[in-house]
Amino acid sequence: MHDGSGRIEVRQLSKNFGSVQAVANLSFTVEPGSVTGFLGPNGAGKTTTLRMILGLVTPSEGTATINGLPHDKLGNPARVVGSVLENEGFHPKRTARNHLKVYAAAIGVPDQRVDDVLTAVGLTEAGDRHAGGFSLGMRQRLALATALLGDPQVLVLDEPANGLDPEGIAWLRGFLRDFAKQGRTVLVSSHLLAEVEQTIDQVVIISHGQTMYYGQLDDLRNAQRPRVLVLPSDQNALTRALREERISEIEPADGGRLAVMNTSARQVGDIALRAGVAIYGLEERHADLENLFFQLTSGQYTAAPPQHQQYGQEPGAPYGGQPGAPYQAPPPGTPYGAQPYSGYGSPQDGWPQQGAVPTHPPQQPYQQDEGNTGWGGQR
Amino acid sequence: MGKLIKAEFRKILSTKLWWGLLIIALLVAGAWAGMLSSVFDGLAEELSRSEVMRLAGLQLDEISFSVVFLTRAINIATIFPMLFGGLAIASELGRKTITTSFLTAPNRSMLLGAKGITYAIWGAIYGIAIICAATLGIVIGTGGDHLVSFTTWLSTAAAGVLSCVLWTLLGLGVGALIGSPVGTVIVLLVYGLAIGPISDLVFTGFAEGDANVAGALPNGAANGLTGSTAADTLADEIQANATGVSSVSSDLLEGFQDTARLAAGGLGSFGLLASAAIFFAWAMLFFALGLWRTQSRDIT
Repeated sequence: MHDGSGRIEVRQLSKNFGSVQAVANLSFTVEPGSVTGFLGPNGAGKTTTLRMILGLVTPSEGTATINGLPHDKLGNPARVVGSVLENEGFHPKRTARNHLKVYAAAIGVPDQRVDDVLTAVGLTEAGDRHAGGFSLGMRQRLALATALLGDPQVLVLDEPANGLDPEGIAWLRGFLRDFAKQGRTVLVSSHLLAEVEQTIDQVVIISHGQTMYYGQLDDLRNAQRPRVLVLPSDQNALTRALREERISEIEPADGGRLAVMNTSARQVGDIALRAGVAIYGLEERHADLENLFFQLTSGQYTAAPPQHQQYGQEPGAPYGGQPGAPYQAPPPGTPYGAQPYSGYGSPQDGWPQQGAVPTHPPQQPYQQDEGNTGWGGQR
Repeated sequence: MGKLIKAEFRKILSTKLWWGLLIIALLVAGAWAGMLSSVFDGLAEELSRSEVMRLAGLQLDEISFSVVFLTRAINIATIFPMLFGGLAIASELGRKTITTSFLTAPNRSMLLGAKGITYAIWGAIYGIAIICAATLGIVIGTGGDHLVSFTTWLSTAAAGVLSCVLWTLLGLGVGALIGSPVGTVIVLLVYGLAIGPISDLVFTGFAEGDANVAGALPNGAANGLTGSTAADTLADEIQANATGVSSVSSDLLEGFQDTARLAAGGLGSFGLLASAAIFFAWAMLFFALGLWRTQSRDIT
């Protein structure tokens, strides 16, 4: 029997399709009571990984277990794990209610459950319509209803926001949060961090089928270093004054401005006042999570990942819809590059602290900044 | 397992394929049997001119020729349970509903086992319906003359139901191997309507009517399963009628049996039990290959 923990464990999972390696030595754990985001660009291996967890794809190497067992040993798997997968089929001529009745019979739950889940996803009205006439959003709801039939402990969703309107996405967000609050497990994949950012607690970021980051989303947020953009009357004087206050990470930015790391607008303003430098513009900026996500996963389709980016001309910035979005330039020599967690062990070498670090990234090359207030309001 | 079989029945009954194919199967079986009955005169006349009949002094009225129409109608109508079985797994793969089917079953073997049982039952349902339609067609076509005895009808009907069950499972296996509904339908139709019958004719032509390789192929074996009963029944009746006529040699009787087998559509077959065993082996081979393929298939 399975252990009833609600834990998903992926250990050294690999999958090759012919000569293409879709997933390479992936390891992570998803704990109950939380919503875990499974992020990566399209083609990073998310869907393949989820399908290996669900026993639909046989791993080339490694194991994926739910409640300590592979999917085909769970007994009545739909009572343990429900899933909403991309590309999931419905017979176009079968009504939503009949579709659910088929699988209610397979799982062994009473037909009453069909009406319950139709209500839960807001499809009661459309229950007797053919699934072939459903919109993408309705199909997603029907897929979710199917996943919920067995009242599972674990929910796995692959790009569930696809096809949902903003209202649907907001609804799904609330639904997943409530589900996790009941002590259940949610693993949700997306290629857009922004899409799931407000829903998830924990995040697994993969690229090229390898783990790039695995830990709490808050830790990732806190790892962001705020930067202050300042337009002073005298750059040299302000730089000198800042250095006297031991603020030394200063770089020229566009428009005659200076980019100052690890400080706050207030502190820069105070120092400038004491130094007698006039300030014509002062702005506190936080690199957004989407950009960091892009950094972590960039290079998948480019030969050489951007190693040294100039502020204001970030090559890949359009990702996330903010072209030229402010992003702190990685000072040469810092570990902040395309592979920011390089110290964390090459994924090929295996997960160094596998299973032991579900809550914190194994290593934090970033400087933490408690003054990072801008993000507090997000949650 | 019971839960999964119930689910499979719900799957089948909640869409229209089962009765769409069933109605066509009934029409084809009934029409084919009725049409053949109406050309009975021509066929009967030809047979009555044969040396056996003449020498034996047989009266056509004493021979239950209509059994031949029954087997012919069954043989043609088995196309439909075969297609029905062919779409069992292929359409689930094509429409991706197989994903949810796998996710709600304890494991793949259980699901495939449940499918096998469910479709065997449906093969029998098709078989019984086809026999009823063909019988009705014969009764209408012959106006009630030359009907077979109940025991002959029953044994032919039993062979027909078994044939439908095995065709369904064979189709299921082929569909699971191919994995695409359109491809499956094309392959099954081309084999069932063209390659199978033509290869039977060609091989039998080379063998000059003797049991041959055609009877060892799926189509030939299946036709042998249904046709042998009819051919044997006719031969038995002739033998019984011809008792005391010394001039009916065993050679001639054998020749007549071949003619009857040809008429019944069981070209080059090896007799009832051998045909049944051969066709059963074919059906199980494809069924097993299909299940094995589905067992190992990555659902992406």
